[in-house]
Amino acid sequence: MGKKVSNKRWFQLHGWFTLPVWVLFCFICLTGTLAVVSHEITWLVNEDARAHNPDSAPPLPMEAITGALTSQHPTADITGITVREPYLTYAVMFTDADKPYAIAYINQYTGEIQEINDGQTFIDFMRSLHGWLLFPWQQGYSIGYYIVSLLSLFVLGAVVTGMMVYKKFWRAFTQPTLRFTQGTKTLLSDLHKTTGAWSIWFLLVMGITGLWYLIQAVMWHNEIEIEPWPASLSAQQVPMNNESAAGKPVSLNDAMATARGLYPDLQPSFIMMPEHNRDTYKISGDQGEIFFDQYSYRIAVNPYNGEVTDNYSPSTMAPLQTVMHLADRLHFGTFGGITTKIIWFVFGLLISGMSITGFWMWRRKLVSETAASSSRSATTQTAGVN
Amino acid sequence: MARKVATPWRRAKYLLSALILTLPPWYYYQSQNPVFPDALANKSTNGFDFTPMPYDENPPYHHDGKYVKDFLVMVNKGDVSDIRQAYLNIGKSALPLDVLQKEELGILHGTRHGQHVHALAKADIRDSDKLWLTVQTWDGDTFQVDWQL
Repeated sequence: MGKKVSNKRWFQLHGWFTLPVWVLFCFICLTGTLAVVSHEITWLVNEDARAHNPDSAPPLPMEAITGALTSQHPTADITGITVREPYLTYAVMFTDADKPYAIAYINQYTGEIQEINDGQTFIDFMRSLHGWLLFPWQQGYSIGYYIVSLLSLFVLGAVVTGMMVYKKFWRAFTQPTLRFTQGTKTLLSDLHKTTGAWSIWFLLVMGITGLWYLIQAVMWHNEIEIEPWPASLSAQQVPMNNESAAGKPVSLNDAMATARGLYPDLQPSFIMMPEHNRDTYKISGDQGEIFFDQYSYRIAVNPYNGEVTDNYSPSTMAPLQTVMHLADRLHFGTFGGITTKIIWFVFGLLISGMSITGFWMWRRKLVSETAASSSRSATTQTAGVN
Repeated sequence: MARKVATPWRRAKYLLSALILTLPPWYYYQSQNPVFPDALANKSTNGFDFTPMPYDENPPYHHDGKYVKDFLVMVNKGDVSDIRQAYLNIGKSALPLDVLQKEELGILHGTRHGQHVHALAKADIRDSDKLWLTVQTWDGDTFQVDWQL
């Protein structure tokens, strides 16, 4: 009897963790599922974003990329370059006289400018919609980011209570059951239990990385710096002469060579040009580690003498910095290329469906209990009349 | 035990989280149609012409241990590349250059099409405070421009 009550309590708890937020959870799962494959969708639907490389040429040097833009748009000021998958073009961010912000898709193998857009991309849109529901960012925080990351607590609660309700969940691995001929109720229950059991690992990954995002949000909000930004140069390090006005003595290619001198296998992912005269080149990338993200290496280079002013890599990371650079690859499943992205996509769909089947079961139960109650009430009234 | 009856509240209560999803379209619309306060008057000096514009009407906010307020500064005349360093602060007077150039915040940054700056300030802006732009060119000339707030 005691055990039965306990199961009922776990079931009730499972409902509390899931039913009040199921619509929001389902939306966030679906947007996350699309965000996982947003690069691939971009490749599929936007021919201008594809980096054709028929001659299997190596990528051009960075200054050939920036030069391709400034030769055709002489008034453009480049602020940064994003390097994505090899099958997507480089994205060069810039401003121009008639463009407060724009992105040029430049084929890194041919130097051809394939598209100039206003900076709004499907990739960024999906990440923003999934990550903070497009809520605005105040100084250091976004309510949307809090809402989304708080759902991690509901996810973890749902997993634990779900496992307590369905104690023999491992049977779903050895004897997965989907009964299609025994009515909707049975099918919904089978679907919910089977996908739930198969998704335990995935829900735990989402819940734990989501919990990290929540911790990160609190730290950002309270100005606790997880990863210090490279310091600006002192004014004394900026030469006082008109020659410097003509341009930085150290070129972007020089800065890249300096970074590769430190890390020979560095694959750049994001390059930030100096924003003012005390600023440095900032080159972020990775060296092919599976779980560290594409920003796990960062080198800042003095544009006047080529010295490295900041050098950040997995070997120098503090524990929280390590977690920060592991979380994204696990959350979005990008660590194994297209293979893991497809796995994450499929499981993203499965857990989106679980929220629907869970609510559907509750709704059917409510409707059937109402019908039973009405029927009993009618019977009682009829008996009273007779 | 009393059975549950599908009252309107019971039917709807687990759909309420969907209300949050009405906000992303609104925030998307806002992001596509941003509204900024009026720019301050443009001022000319030393061959340059500047127009500052606050990004919002809010008081300064705390960032990296300082209070700052964000501005866009347009350089209408003169070449941004002729400027070695430039800073913006809010107060009764301009902060000295040797103080400003020790700061990570307050420096103008961006491109020739628009300079952004987290202007150094105090928690509250008083009536007597002005907006001070301190500019140093590559030949070492330093000058200031100010605006009444």
